[in-house]
This record gives sequence, structure tokens and C-alpha cells, in this order.
Amino acid sequence: MSILSRSQTHPFSTSGDLSPIINRRLFLRSAGLSLGSLALSHLLHADQPRGTPGVLAKPHHPPKAKRIIYLFMAGGPSQLDLFDHKPLLNKMNGQDLPDSVRKGQRLTGMSAFQAQLPLAGSIFKFSRHGQCGATVSELLPHTAKMVDDLCFVKSCYTEAINHDPAITFVQTGSQLAGRPSMGAWLSYGLGSLNENLPAFVVLISKDRTEQGLYSRLWGNGFLPSTHQGVQFRSDKDAVLYLANPEGVSRSSRRKLLDRLGELNRLQAEQEGDPEILSRVEQYEMAYRMQTSVPEVMDLSKEPESVYELYGSEAKKPGTFAANCLLARRLAQRNVRFIQLYHPGWDHHGGLPSGIRRQASDVDRACYGLIQDLKRTGLLDDTLVVWGGEFGRTNYSQGKLTATDYGRDHHPRCFTMWFAGGGFRPGLTYGSTDDFGYNITAHPVHVHDLQATILHQLGIDHEKLTYKFQGRYYRLTDVHGEVVRPVLA
Amino acid sequence: MNTVPLALLVGLTAPLASEKIDFSREVLPILSENCFHCHGPDARSRKAGLRLDTKEGAFRVRRGRSILVPGKSGQSELIRRIVSHDESEQMPPPDSNRKLTPKQIDILAKWVDQGAVWSQHWAFVPLPAQVPIPAVKQSSWPRGTIDRFILARLEQHGLAPSPEADRATWLRRVTLDLTGLPPTLAELDAFLNDRSPEAYETVVDRLLASPRFGERLASDWLDLARYADTHGYQHDRYRAMWPYRDWVIRAFNRNQPFDEFLTWQLAGDLLPNATKEQRLATAFNRLHMQNEEGGIVEEEFRVAYVVDRVNTMGTAFLGLTLECSRCHDHKYDPISMKDFYGLFAFFQNIDEAGQTPYFTPAMAVPTLLLSTEAQDAELARLARKIADKEAELRRLRDDAATKSAYEGWLARGSGAKEIPGLVGAFSFEDWKNNQIGNSANAKQPGRTHDSPRPIPGKVGQAGELSGENGFEFPGIGHFSRSDPFTLALWVKPPKHVPRAVVVHHSKAPVDAGSRGYELLLEDGRVAFGLHHMWPGNSLKVRTRQPLTTNAWTHVTATYDGSSRASGVRLFLDGKAVEVDVIRDGLWKDITYFDSGGEPNLTIGYRFRDVGFKGGAVDEFHVYSRQLTEVEAARLAGAEEPEQGLFELFFATEYEPARQLVTELQRLRAEQNRLINPIPEIMVMQELPQPKPAHVLKRGAYDALGESVTMATPAALPPFPQGVPRNRLGLAHWLTQPDHPLTARVTVNRFWQQMFGTGLVETSDNFGATGSPPTHPELLDWLARDFLEQGWNVKRLLKQLALSATYRQSAKVTPELLAKDPFNHLLTRGPARRLTAEMLRDQALFVSGLLVEKQGGPSVYPYQPAGLWNEAMGRPHYPQSKGADLYRRSLYTFWKRTVPHPQMTTFDAADRSVCSARRLTTSTPLQALALLNDPQLVEAARFLGQRLLTEGGATTAERVAWAFCLVTGRKATAKEVEVLVQLFDEQKAEFDREATSAEKLLTVGASRSHRVKQPTELAAAASVALAILNHDGAVYRR
Repeated sequence: MSILSRSQTHPFSTSGDLSPIINRRLFLRSAGLSLGSLALSHLLHADQPRGTPGVLAKPHHPPKAKRIIYLFMAGGPSQLDLFDHKPLLNKMNGQDLPDSVRKGQRLTGMSAFQAQLPLAGSIFKFSRHGQCGATVSELLPHTAKMVDDLCFVKSCYTEAINHDPAITFVQTGSQLAGRPSMGAWLSYGLGSLNENLPAFVVLISKDRTEQGLYSRLWGNGFLPSTHQGVQFRSDKDAVLYLANPEGVSRSSRRKLLDRLGELNRLQAEQEGDPEILSRVEQYEMAYRMQTSVPEVMDLSKEPESVYELYGSEAKKPGTFAANCLLARRLAQRNVRFIQLYHPGWDHHGGLPSGIRRQASDVDRACYGLIQDLKRTGLLDDTLVVWGGEFGRTNYSQGKLTATDYGRDHHPRCFTMWFAGGGFRPGLTYGSTDDFGYNITAHPVHVHDLQATILHQLGIDHEKLTYKFQGRYYRLTDVHGEVVRPVLA
Repeated sequence: MNTVPLALLVGLTAPLASEKIDFSREVLPILSENCFHCHGPDARSRKAGLRLDTKEGAFRVRRGRSILVPGKSGQSELIRRIVSHDESEQMPPPDSNRKLTPKQIDILAKWVDQGAVWSQHWAFVPLPAQVPIPAVKQSSWPRGTIDRFILARLEQHGLAPSPEADRATWLRRVTLDLTGLPPTLAELDAFLNDRSPEAYETVVDRLLASPRFGERLASDWLDLARYADTHGYQHDRYRAMWPYRDWVIRAFNRNQPFDEFLTWQLAGDLLPNATKEQRLATAFNRLHMQNEEGGIVEEEFRVAYVVDRVNTMGTAFLGLTLECSRCHDHKYDPISMKDFYGLFAFFQNIDEAGQTPYFTPAMAVPTLLLSTEAQDAELARLARKIADKEAELRRLRDDAATKSAYEGWLARGSGAKEIPGLVGAFSFEDWKNNQIGNSANAKQPGRTHDSPRPIPGKVGQAGELSGENGFEFPGIGHFSRSDPFTLALWVKPPKHVPRAVVVHHSKAPVDAGSRGYELLLEDGRVAFGLHHMWPGNSLKVRTRQPLTTNAWTHVTATYDGSSRASGVRLFLDGKAVEVDVIRDGLWKDITYFDSGGEPNLTIGYRFRDVGFKGGAVDEFHVYSRQLTEVEAARLAGAEEPEQGLFELFFATEYEPARQLVTELQRLRAEQNRLINPIPEIMVMQELPQPKPAHVLKRGAYDALGESVTMATPAALPPFPQGVPRNRLGLAHWLTQPDHPLTARVTVNRFWQQMFGTGLVETSDNFGATGSPPTHPELLDWLARDFLEQGWNVKRLLKQLALSATYRQSAKVTPELLAKDPFNHLLTRGPARRLTAEMLRDQALFVSGLLVEKQGGPSVYPYQPAGLWNEAMGRPHYPQSKGADLYRRSLYTFWKRTVPHPQMTTFDAADRSVCSARRLTTSTPLQALALLNDPQLVEAARFLGQRLLTEGGATTAERVAWAFCLVTGRKATAKEVEVLVQLFDEQKAEFDREATSAEKLLTVGASRSHRVKQPTELAAAASVALAILNHDGAVYRR
């Protein structure tokens, strides 16, 4: 199809519909022409509640999931105290990490200079749970109840050893800043399924900011900013600048938009630029968001039975539990990518007390979320991902005592879990050695995880690309293999 | 799946069927896009040994098959493969994710049939000395040479230019493009009334002379320079880089020739007798992100910084994606890994650290002191006085009176006395309950940390260390760099290790930039250092000989307070020993004057460092003066050298000398106090010896490959003769008159500034996979002209602004949209949305709120509460007060982890890395920001107030006045009618709810004039807000 077919559409038509192919092309052009024309079709008219198309006309293969809830545990939770039980560490507690295990693996500058690297057994009790017999520590009693719904991958590994590059790597496939986040890729590839909400929504736990988060983690990188993650806050304005200024009522805003629309249509007649009408549509979507966003953020109508699932913490705005409940509400409204961040897992010292707090923040809430998704039937086509940016060392950073220890960053292995979205429930995949240091079976690289997640959404990770500065970029760089054994 | 937009571009710019196919512009892009990935410059990924990026490769004949047979597409293997439907033969292969369009196949076939003429990629062809100017039919249209190129192309395609934009439209366009602000009504009137032939030129000259010009150009330049006010990682702390931003503004305003502008930024420090301003400009190379995360591998990030410098230079000046060759040879362009690391070698020769400190706010070295002229004068005065005093002291030494006094002293008997200046003496004999007695001052005992072990020592008892335990001596040894002092102790190392911390007064090594002083063993050699910020602001010496292991050695380190390596002496067993000077560049203090108090003097261990594992220490002494050799010998129990007696006398007994030393110390302390609080900016400062450079295999910092030296890419012009092989030489190389890239890339970006899109749309990529130029001859002509006119930026922009091309109307018709949908042929004027900065600045400007103060530290305009809360450490957003709320957006504080939402919402560049162009999007978040951001609402309030007071007598006059003020054009009758309706409706709304108007009128920090009718003012504000959201405000057409 030639670009010239654009002339077949009258540029002044108020519907402003350009053919999807033209839209994708405009979209791909990425500069020189504003992307509003794309947004024209991106925006759904109130009477036409379909989705916003992405760059892919259709998925590469039938998807198992329509949307993702990504529970990001920022800071790096200790797999050795939550899931990956290593009795040998208790047996050898206090002895030096053998060089034969470390194999020259680099350490961070935080523990590299320690005179000793004493192995630290977890002080928490582990047991097997469910029909599948998955191992979970006493820190996560609610998670333990639902292991048959979860797929554990104990052999995740990454390349980065420090937070910023490691989180950036998990989110964007590159350790360096500037690439699009996974949610931005999905928005770009698959578009949105809801005309009143962004395709990529970010929720951050309040008051857990030991480890900083950066807006570039949910950034669009070189993709158009339309695909930026939009943070929904627990503050007065859930979305920046959502509320009308003080003193401006909804009806007066409506009238202002009507007149502004009229003026802009007059301008469009004069200038002939279809972009003007696309901007008028954006103002309409903004107007709709002024009701749709508060509506989704309003938990007051959730019945008490729901709070019994998530726990009463979910009543406090901004907690991880409240964000989990919001995630379900956003999933119900077909938001494509719902990214939660729960920072605070960076336990270099005082790990036992720190991880207790963190575990109690998330345990019941995760349980509630999965039950709620099951109850509402959403788990079938929603993929829930739980994990951090790396694991933690089997030796203590700082002093090891009978009741206290710390753990440094460990990129060589960590545990993540997945639920729904076509992952095999009840499976524990991959394993680590008795020291919990190296992977012994089925290593899963970050790029493999990304490839697998995209796969479940019907995307061939090698084929969702964007040309920037002459090169086709993709989430998985030039790597990544779909981890088929974890898929149902 | 991803349709390649290039096909569209080629289609658009393809000549008519009868014309000759242009290899460089039409064929090469198809080959590079679809074939080079496997048949390009990267040898490692090359398939079948075939390369299509060189003429030699493309014309290969193997087993009787020719890839290309000139004139015969039917016999050319290349054509056969691309039209094949056989999956085993088809090219590109079915699984490659690449596919040629019929049009592309047609172009390739035609090119072969026309003789398959091969040439270089257009951007690597040297800039021609002269470019022929094309003939045109409609000779009355062109106003200058530029227009002839544009028109010739239009005529080829049977198209005509658009009519001229009306004067008001052009005025708004050119005023925004050159100053970033809209014209005033007075400027509009003056221009409309100026019927002289120079009217347009008068406007352009006025705009180019405006100080706003530099601010506008700086906005774009700062994207390239990845300017920000913070480091970008973790706590994302402040860096005072704004003086660089102000330099950029000044440089554009004074129309600094672009070659010089480039040279100063790349290599200002290397210019002969470099001025402060020239050195300041090199901050360009240091604007990359800096990591402070504890525990990072420093080298990993040092390499990342150098890579960033190379990439930025590549994008900004060469328009090449050099970063592709960091890990492998470039897949599309002739840039090898070796080329990349040859450039890398230019940019790494500074004394820098890979991690910025956490415990101190010291700027990452090397830095330039941001002193005022008065401070510079004062510093110079003190430097002279210190030098004079030092000379005086030297003279006194040789003075006859001194000599005779010495002889008298000798005659009286110079017998051993107590060594003066003792502030701490720890024999480790008095060791009870973790407390270590201090015989110099019983009130300041030392204490143990984590149980060091008492063992038999050199004298009595000593302490044995584990590497993580040791001794602390609170309250002792808080020396400044202007204080003379001495440390002395017995040490017994168990074995030689690369590093062992024996004594130190600091909070950490890397995490504090080693701030303080330290005595280390490095492979057994005693190293003594005083650091403000390692390595660029440090002093360090090291003995040549290692200590004997498992034996006691007495170590004395003395320092004279001079901040010079020559002021440090090291004595082993009482004898002065030869040292190597590791660093000699200390010029700020070694105390924690700016970072919350002094650490404890400590033995044996340090935060995130290697302690003195297995070592032992005894008889630790601290003096608040520089001991002499005789005294060092005395402490070690060694024979006291007779020739050292004069020194002892001079330092301890001779009053005139002691007085001079005291005065000298006072002057040094004064200098120290003056210089310490002066901020610093990161700049380049070349090391005397370049650092060794290597190819880094896979781009990994620790995978050293082949050695390389500073070199420019082999496929580009050779490095010029007679220039130094350093960054200055690199700047010469870039600005030589036939360099194929620098001038083309530069004029293209200025074209982009005026027309929204460059002649090469990918202004960040002139390589094989970038867009070919829409008007290659024009690009060459502009580049050559720019060069010949002395890289004169203002002159270039004036040419563009006054061209008939730029003066065209931007109106679109269905016919234009059909024939030139992306305006690549320039069939019409350029229309585009205002940038993030312009949108806010315009609102402030028309409302009368804008405060036009130029330069200075960045400011903090309104932003929603809590935005910085997710950032590490939950920093407080120190919102500005008063005038600083209303500065141009260029001065808005740029925190990398949480940029101002006005910027991110309106497509500003990311500022993590170099960026040459911004996308333009249209999103509902933009609508929310323009309607509800207090900054806009406040501006609307004040614009509403102006409308009421300055706009005329009737509502119709008033709304029309405001419309014209913002959009730069007169409203039509119909538009006035809608605006009046808007006013009336809004007023009715406010009248309905008594308090609503007053609520609206309190948005923002500035108070409105007292008004009798708040509802009228609120309605006027609403009208103003609507106008600020109107296409005529948001777009410049």
C-alpha cells in the first residue's frame, strides 16, 4: 500500500480515521511528523469502545495472556530466606565461602574487601507446601497457601551487580539508561484495550524509598512518549494535573472544551492539518480520564469480602496491598501493563528484621491478588510476575551473629514466581547448588524471561522491533530464548 | 512485520522513471537496511564471505556467478535472489525479519540495468569544493540560493511552492524559531507597518541580536550535550554544571564561529594558555551520568563515561552511531571496533574516578574552580604572599645570623630533649576494657574496635589486627592540609598484599573520594596520601622499597602543610627513604568541612576497604608538626644523623624560623578557608601521559584486547599532519575544510531548528541506515557556504529565515498531502508543535509573568507535590519563590531521575544520553498539563487580567486582543463570536457559584490586582486558558 492512499481520506473529516497501515507507518516514522495522527486512531470515541491498535496488526501467535501485572520487588529479595532453602548453609554457618564455589565471581565493592566471607544459613524455617510441594519459608505463610497456583523459577540470573543497572536491565533489556521499558514495548506492540485509561500504568508503594526508583524505569526510551508508563498516585491527583483547577467545575470545563473544540475546528478548516483534530480528540480523552481515573482509584465500593483477601492494609492508600487491589481493578479495565514497585528489599545488614517487614508487606497482598484474579476469572488471561533485580549472597555482608546477618547483591541466581497467563502452575523450575550460589540446572537469563513474557502475550520477541538511529532495537537486545518448559 | 519507512522515503524522493538511479541515495540505503546485517562491514557476522558494502565485494564473481552484471539485471545473482520465491535461495532469508518491497526491487534492478555504477555512501564523500546551483523555470520565486535548490526539485516533480505565508504568520514562526518566544503586539504592528524592502531582514537582525537567541539555541544544544543538574544515579545528587549552560548561551549570542565552539568544548583545556572560559567549555565531555552507588566496580563505570564521551562526539559532530562499534564492528557503517577504541583513547586521559563519593559532596575530578574574579584576585594575592614567605624562610636558612645562632646552640650542647608537638602517644601497654591509654593526653584515650588482639610487641605489648578490627583515636589528628603533622609507629606486615590500610583519618576510600589522610601498605611499600577527592585532587607518595615481612619496621610520615608532594617525607627505621610521587595535585581541604564532621583517626580497618589483615602495630605517635630526620631517628631508636642537627635546630629551637613557619601556616590556612567553599565544575584536564588504551572485547571493561592509540576511523579522512594527537588534534580533524561530516551534520541541525525536520531527517545518523538527504546538493551547498563564511551560525540562520522556502504558507491541502505528505520536498512551510520549553515560556511571556534574567543556578518552578518522594532519600523539592518561579524553562532544574513533568510530558529529550532530535507526540496528558498545571492557570489569570485592562472596551475587543497577542494573528469574526460566547458562558458558570471565581484566582503564587468583579476576571482567565490551548498557541505554523 502506498502512502499516497492517504489522500483517499479527506483530511478534514471529523472522524479523522486514517487507515491502520498508514497509522502504523506514521508511527514508525518517529520524527518529522507529529504522532497525533496515530493518536487519532489510538483514541477511541466514546461510542466505539474498542482498543487502540498497536504497531502489530495482530499478535505473532495466539496469546495466552492479554495483560501483565508485574510485582517488582526492588532492591533484590533474598531468595535464600524466602524460597531457595539451603540447609548446607546452616551446617556450614560462619565458615568461609569456598573459592571452589565462588569461582572468581566478582563481588560488589561493599563486601569485596571483607577479610572473611562467612556463609550464612537462613534463620527462617522452610517447609514444603501444596500438592506440588514447593518450598517456601515461614516468612510467606499466605504465599505458601497458593503454591499450586504459582510457577517458581529458581534459576533466574542477571549480568548486573548493582541496583541501577540491574533494575534497568530487567525493565528494558539493557543496563544502560535510555531504552524503553517492557510496558512501553507492549503498549507500542499491542496497543491499549481501554479508551479511557493509559495502556501502561505504574503503582509505587508509598514510604518504601530506601532504594530509589527513577521515572526512566517506566520510560518510553526512544519510543514515542505515548507509550510512557503513567504513574497513578495515591495523592489527591492520581495522574499529574488530572483535576481541574480550584473553582473550575466539570460543567464549566465541558463548556470550555466545547468552545475550544469549535475554535480548533475552525483552525483546522483554515490550516488543513489533520493533526489539529487529533489534538481535539486528546482533549476529549483527557476529559474522560478525569472521571475514569478517579473511578478506578476509588476503592470505597469494594466489599468487605475483598479486604478479607488482601488484608486490611489494602484500605490504606499507597500501600502495596492497596496497589494490588488497584492492579486487579486496572486489569478488569483491560489496562495492558500494570507495573507495581515495592522497594525496600536491599538487606545488606539486619536482614532478618528487614525481610520480615518486607515479607509482611507483600505476602497477604499477593495472596489476595491471585485469589481475586481467580475469583473474577482474570487469572486465565492475566500474567502475574513477582521478582526483583537480582538475588543475594549466601555469605554475610558484615558481621554474622546467631540472630543477625546481611547479604550482598548476587547476580548468579535468584527466584521469581509467575501466576496465570499460561505459565505452568505448581511447577518449580531450575535449581541451584547446595551453597545457593551457582545454578545447577536450567539457567534462565533476564532476556529469556523477557522473551517468555512477550511470548505469552503473543509476541515473538525477535519481531517486535523499533528502528532508532539506524538500528532495529528490541526488548531482548540480540538475545533471549523462550523458556518453554515453564509454559502450560 | 515492521514496514520499513525508508521505502516511503525512497518512494517520495525517487526521481522520475526516466531518470538515473542515484546509488548513494537510493540503492545503498536498500542494501544497508536489508543486506548489511549479514553482508556488511562486520566480519564476524558475515555470511558466505560475501560483503555488499564494498565495490570489490559486490562485484565478486564466484563459481561463474556474478553478484552484479552491469546492464544486465537478469544475469545478476543479487537480483535473482531478491526476486526468488524459493525459500532456500530467497534474500533476505524468510526468517530474517526483512523483506524488500516491489519498489525497492525495482530500484535495484533499474540501477543494475543502468550500469550498476558504484560510489561511496553519500555522507562519506568529501564535501565538494563547489556545488553547482541548479537552474529553475520560475525564476521570480527564489529569494536566495537555497530556494533554487528547493524549487528545482519541485519543478522536477511538477510541483509548485506554496504561496507566501502572511506576514503575521511568518513573524510568529521566525520569532519562535530564533528566540523561543512569540512576538509582541508592538513587534507585530511594527512589522506589519514596515513596508520597506528590508522589513523581513530588519526583523531577523533584531531577533539574532536579541539575548533570547542564545537561550533558544542553547535549549537544543543542551539536548546534544545531555545537560542536567544531577548525576543521574541513586541519590541523583546535584552538580553545579550550570556555568557551562550559561557559557553555551553566551557563545551563541556572541556568534562564536562554530568550529571554535566545537574546539573549545572538545579540547578547550588543550588550547595554548587556555583561559578559564575555554576550560569551562570542556564540561561538554563531562555531562554524562555519574554513578555513586556503593560497591560498583569503578572501572566498569569509568569505561562507561569514556564511551559516553565518544558516543556524544559521534552523534553531535559526526552524525554517526559510533556506539554500535563498542562491542563489535559496526554492522552498517565502516567503523570497526578498533576505530571505536581509537577514539576512546582520546577521551580517557583525565584523572577521574568511576564512582562519585557518597560521604562528601565533592565534584567528580578533574574540576575547574568556579571562582569569581574577586576570588581569583584574592587567591592570587595569597599565592604570592605564600611564595614570598617560603622564600623568606629559605633565605633565613642561609642567613649568617642563623648560622651563628646554630653554632651557639651546638656549643651549648644539643643533647636529646623531648620532641615537641606530641598530641597522641599510644604504647598499647595501658590497654584495659577496650581502652588504650594516651600518654600525651590522658583525657583522650584510644579505644579498640571489634577486639584486636594484644600480643608481645616491639616494646612491651602491641596490637594484632584481623583486617576488620583495630583502634580508634577520637579527637586526635583532625588535621587540615595547611597543618604540618607527623605519624609514627612500628608495623609488622605478615605478607605483601596489593593493599592494606594501616592508619587513616577518613570515612571511606571510594565512597568518600578518600577524603582525609592515610598510610597504606601497597605490595609492602609505604604509601602516604592526603586527599580532597581521589585521584584528581590528591597528594600521594610511596616508598620504592617494600618493608620486610614478619619483622618490625618503624615508619614515620611527616608533612609540612604545603599541599605539595615535596612536603611529605617518609622514614623507615628512622632513615629518610626515596619515594615515588604518585599524585601531586592537592588544592582543597582534606577535612570534612562540607560533610558533617570529622571521622576518627583509625588503625587497622576501613569501611569498604582492605584492612591490615594479620598485621601488628606498636608505639603509635601523632605530632602536630613536621618532625625532622633526627627526631624520626630518635623515635625509631636509630642513630641520629649529625648532619640533621641544623634541621632540628631550625625547626624547634630557632625563634625567627618558628615565627616564619607560623606565619606561613596562617597564610596557607587563610587560602584554604577561601578556596574550600568555592564550587567546582567537572571539566577535562589532560594527563601528562595518556592512559594505555585497548580494544575492549565485547565492550566489557575487563576484557582487554589489542592495544590501540589515539586514532580517527580509518574510513574517514586521515588525521591531519602537524597537529597534536590529542583532543585538540581531534577538533582540528573534525573542522578541516573537506571533512565529509562535521559541516553537513551541523547545517542539517540548524535546518532542523528552523524547519522542524532536517534535510537528513535522521539528524542523529548520517550512516548507511540513516535517511538519505532529501536535497543532497542543497545540503552540500549549505555546508560549503557555512565553512567558507567562517562557520557563521547567525548568518546561516538568517539565510534560512529569509528564504522563500521558509516564507511559504504551512497550509495543507488534500493535494499537497497526497503529493508530499511529509513535506520532504518543502512544498509548504514547516508547521510544528512548540517545544516543552516554548509552551511554558510563551504562557509566561504573554501573561507578563516572565522574568528574563539570564543565567545562574537552575530554578525550581511549580511542580506537583510529592514527585520527588519516590526518588532515593526522598529529597525535598525546594520550590522557588518570587521571580525564580517565572524564569525561562531552560533554567528549570533538571533532575535526571525525576525530570520536571512539563518536560517529559511534552517530549523533551531524556538527557541521559546525547540526543539530536525530539519526537513530537500528542497525548491526553498534554491536554491535562496545558489545562490544569498551576503554571498555565496562573499565566491564564494574568493574561485574563491584561485582557481586561489592556484589551479594549468590549468583550469582543478584549478576546480578540488576547487571541492576537497569543497566536500572533487577528481572530476572524466567527472566532471572536466563539470567544465571546466562551467568555459569557464561563462568566455565567462563575456567577452561579459565588466562591468559584475567587478560588480560581488564587491558583499560583502571584496575586491579581484587586478587582471589583472576580467573576469577570475568572471568566477572562478561562478565555485566556482556552487561547493558550488553541492550536494557534500550541503550534507554530
